[in-house]
Amino acid sequence: MLKKIHHVGVVVHSADEAMKFYRDALGLKVTADRVIEDQGVRGVLLEIGGSEIELLEPTRDDTGVAKFLASRGEGMHHICFESDDVDAELEGARQKGIELIDQKPRLGLAGMICFLHPKSNHGVLVEFATPLTDGHH
Amino acid sequence: MGIGATHIDHIVISSNNSGAVAQTFADNLGIEIKRKMIRPGTSAQLAFAKLQEVVLEFAGPPEVKPDEEVKAKLWGMVLAVEDIDAAVSELRAKGYTVGDPTKAVQPGAKIATVKGGTSGVPFALIQYNALPIEGASS
Repeated sequence: MLKKIHHVGVVVHSADEAMKFYRDALGLKVTADRVIEDQGVRGVLLEIGGSEIELLEPTRDDTGVAKFLASRGEGMHHICFESDDVDAELEGARQKGIELIDQKPRLGLAGMICFLHPKSNHGVLVEFATPLTDGHH
Repeated sequence: MGIGATHIDHIVISSNNSGAVAQTFADNLGIEIKRKMIRPGTSAQLAFAKLQEVVLEFAGPPEVKPDEEVKAKLWGMVLAVEDIDAAVSELRAKGYTVGDPTKAVQPGAKIATVKGGTSGVPFALIQYNALPIEGASS
C-alpha cells in the first residue's frame, strides 16, 4: 500500500544553483547529497514536512535525466510514492499489466526503489520507494 | 533563515483530460480520488487525491476531446507556509519576484506565486486560515 509522497524529483542543470532557492531561500534542510555513478546523476534530497524534494543533476550525457533536461529543460521529472514493501508494489503493478522500467527493485537515493514506465500513467514518471531501515541514505 | 514552509501542500499534474488521468492513477496506484470540481473562473476540470499531508491535483481543460490521446505531466507544486506575508517578504528580500498574496480557491487561504528562480518548477506558497471563511459563523 502506498503510504505517502516520499519525494518529487526536479531535474536541474546545476544542483548547487538550484539549492540557492530550495536550501538557502526556502530554508529546507539537505538530507542527502550524493553522486549515483551508475545512474549518472547527482541527487540532493531536501526535507519538507513528511516529504522531500529531490534535485537531480546529470553528471553525464547518456542518461535518461540528461536526455530529459536536453529535451524539456529544467522542471518536475517524477513523483515517488513510499511503501513499506516495494517488492509487493512492483509485483502488484506487474500483475495489473503496467509497463515497468525496473523489473526488480534496486538501491537508490530514497532506499529500495523502482520506476514504472511513464506510458503507464499518461506520461507521468512514477517511482516506488521503501526507505532502508537505517535511514534512506 | 527559511520562510516557515511546513510541507508540500499540493502537486499539480496537468493534462488534457484530468478525469482520465485521475482514474488511471486510482487504478494503477490504488489511490482514492476524493473530490472533483470545476475551478471557478477558468472552468478547469479538477480532481483531487490526498496522501497524508500532500494533495495530488489533477488539472485539465473544461472541454475534453474524446479522440485525443491523453497526455499528462507533472507541472508544479505549492508549499504550505505559516505566514504568507512574512514568507513573501523574506523571498523578496532575497531577490526573488513573488506576486502579492491573493485569495485562494481553498476557503480561508491565501496564495502567492514565485516567479522565476525555481529551476523550471511553477511554484506557489499557500497559507490556510489566513482569511475569514465566508459563511462561517464565529
